[in-house]
Amino acid sequence: MSETPAAPTKLWDLPTRITHWSLVVLIVTAWLSGGQQMEIHMLAGYGVIGLLVFRLYWGVFGGETARFSQFVKGPGATARYLKTMGKRTAADLVGHSPVGAVSVVALLLVMIVQAGLGLFATDIDGINSGPLSYMVDFDTGRLASEWHELSFRVLQGLVVLHLAAIAFYALWKRQNLVTAMITGKRRFIGPAPTLKFAPAWRFVLGVALAVGVAWLIARGLKLPKL
Amino acid sequence: MSARHTKRPLGLVLGVALSLAAVSGAAVAAVSAEKVIAERQKGLKAMGGAFKTINDNLKTDAPDAKLIAAQAKIVKDWSHHIPKWFPKGSGPEAGFKTAAKPEIWTDPAKFAAAAKGLQVEAAKLETIAKGGNIDAIKAQVKATGGACGTCHTPFRVKS
Repeated sequence: MSETPAAPTKLWDLPTRITHWSLVVLIVTAWLSGGQQMEIHMLAGYGVIGLLVFRLYWGVFGGETARFSQFVKGPGATARYLKTMGKRTAADLVGHSPVGAVSVVALLLVMIVQAGLGLFATDIDGINSGPLSYMVDFDTGRLASEWHELSFRVLQGLVVLHLAAIAFYALWKRQNLVTAMITGKRRFIGPAPTLKFAPAWRFVLGVALAVGVAWLIARGLKLPKL
Repeated sequence: MSARHTKRPLGLVLGVALSLAAVSGAAVAAVSAEKVIAERQKGLKAMGGAFKTINDNLKTDAPDAKLIAAQAKIVKDWSHHIPKWFPKGSGPEAGFKTAAKPEIWTDPAKFAAAAKGLQVEAAKLETIAKGGNIDAIKAQVKATGGACGTCHTPFRVKS
């Protein structure tokens, strides 16, 4: 890189970054409290559900680099990117790479399954149950609890893969992906892209939707009596 | 619920069969140990299920004290089986896949006290539930859940 890189350009909008790092904090909290501090575990779970609802909404109505339509690519484009991945040059992509997109979608899907199973889970003594567990019998609740643990192993695997990919870009391609997810900005090698970001009211609407859904699920999908 | 009750004489028969087996050799004893393990797993699951039903009901807008009393009776009735559910030779040392810890047999006095504790708390819960005071029921459900823990924490392998 003989040329001086251009000034940092905004890449990830604030809601995307807040969602990302909140998920990190809450998933770790849920992990550490699981089976120990069930009240904390469940609160963390409701938080995760709210974040997932928001992320799905933001994937359709959010800033350009947060949208599924911007980063989810077909098998052809994904295979083409995979072929170039081994090169020791930085990938000057805007937003998620096609392979990164697979990781994003997989992480979201497993987190949805993970949270969904937790809602129906019951502990072995029938003392702590997820908020929708009243809809199923004890044996089904136990099964949900066992699958909840299994799917967490899958989630852990995906997180390890995610971290390994970041390490690969840092060590092999000399590309720092973490800073951009914190500051939202990155220096581009080529011409800086002009990205569209969503207005603030869309963020407010998404937060209202996420809080509403999480709140309703936390109370077992029962509306309050008026 | 009634199906579980009709099966109780079977448990008695099993108990008798078990004491006979203890005399008549290791092979028979192993079969009986398997049976008693199946029996205790069934009973413990039934208690867990009853407890879930109670806790689910308490979370509704209008808890049903009668239903809770009936479920408390299930827990109480099964709790009286606990002392005969763990005969020597039905633990992990005999090669069985069980969450029962060896401490059940090395510290039988503590184990018996824990079982007794559940019997007492579950009986109290049934009485209080019959009284119909939901707040009192909630407090006693906590105490009964605690009684599960006094046995499960020291004597059951953590899953």
